[in-house]
Amino acid sequence: MATKRFVVIGAGGVGTWLTAGLVRLLEWKFPGSGLIIVDGDNYEEKNKERQDFAKIGNKAVVKAHELTPQFQKTTIIPVPKWVVSDDFKGVSTGEDSPKIKASDLISEGDVVFAVVDNFAARKIIFDAASRLNNVDVFTGGNDDALFGSIYHYQKRDGVAITEHPSTFHPEYENAPDKNPGELSCQERSEIEGGTQLLATNMAVAALILGRVQKTIVLDQSPEETEIYFDLGVGKAEPYNRMVSHVSEHVTV
Amino acid sequence: MENSTSGASASQATGMANLRFGVYNQPTNVAGKSVQQTREQFSKIWGIPTDAVAYKGKEKLDENYVIQPGDNVEFHRRAGEKG
Repeated sequence: MATKRFVVIGAGGVGTWLTAGLVRLLEWKFPGSGLIIVDGDNYEEKNKERQDFAKIGNKAVVKAHELTPQFQKTTIIPVPKWVVSDDFKGVSTGEDSPKIKASDLISEGDVVFAVVDNFAARKIIFDAASRLNNVDVFTGGNDDALFGSIYHYQKRDGVAITEHPSTFHPEYENAPDKNPGELSCQERSEIEGGTQLLATNMAVAALILGRVQKTIVLDQSPEETEIYFDLGVGKAEPYNRMVSHVSEHVTV
Repeated sequence: MENSTSGASASQATGMANLRFGVYNQPTNVAGKSVQQTREQFSKIWGIPTDAVAYKGKEKLDENYVIQPGDNVEFHRRAGEKG
């Protein structure tokens, strides 16, 4: 199989579990591939309740240092930066919270995992991906209880195979939150982490891994484009957001 | 956005349509009812917010749109945000 470049943006509640799975998948299914881990934030002791890490420090750097000795066939590169939009002013490498533009981070053929904790940053990543010809972007998140969802955006040869998530989710266009990468350190420190649950974070990661197995490893159709789940009622429901399928349904 | 003029009147259209909201997916006899009436009926059962937009495919439906037999109507469920 050809090598891949996986870009994981966010190494927190979902990202730590997801990264543990992705690196194994790359090591055995796509040896010689690259895993880029991107996060400007630091692990704190309080994060241990639902995040998997061995030491305090920048999330991208800590995870890369943990995984590198274990997986010799995968090149793991940390990017300890916050992802910002292309029109964000003030990108600099010399400040306390370094930033990187989304379009400088992802490129043709990438498989991107937008597992950040806000819609604003996700939209920046999806918008940058939508300007590429061949790309996969998986995202997922949860509430403070047992509900969560994942979404797979795919483009091939310049054509969108699945809809941009903002087609069905106005919360992307009118994000109720702010991208932490575009806030000051003080503003970021004031963001509440909420009361998320380990089980829900892990379920999001597991569902994304399942979609990667089907659509990237096996190269099958991404027709289960979006999946909602609720661990409280024990249900998961797939939605077909493929462009061709959605177009058929609007014919009256 | 589709409006009520694209569907038959409430008295003309009865039968089954498919409703979806998050993890819920159920054929139900709401054909002939408006989007607003249907949301009210299912809001307590499924927890549909009062401002949840309804979609058929990727087209947003007007509040007064009369659901037709065979329609597949989805009420917007906010995606999981945190992680």
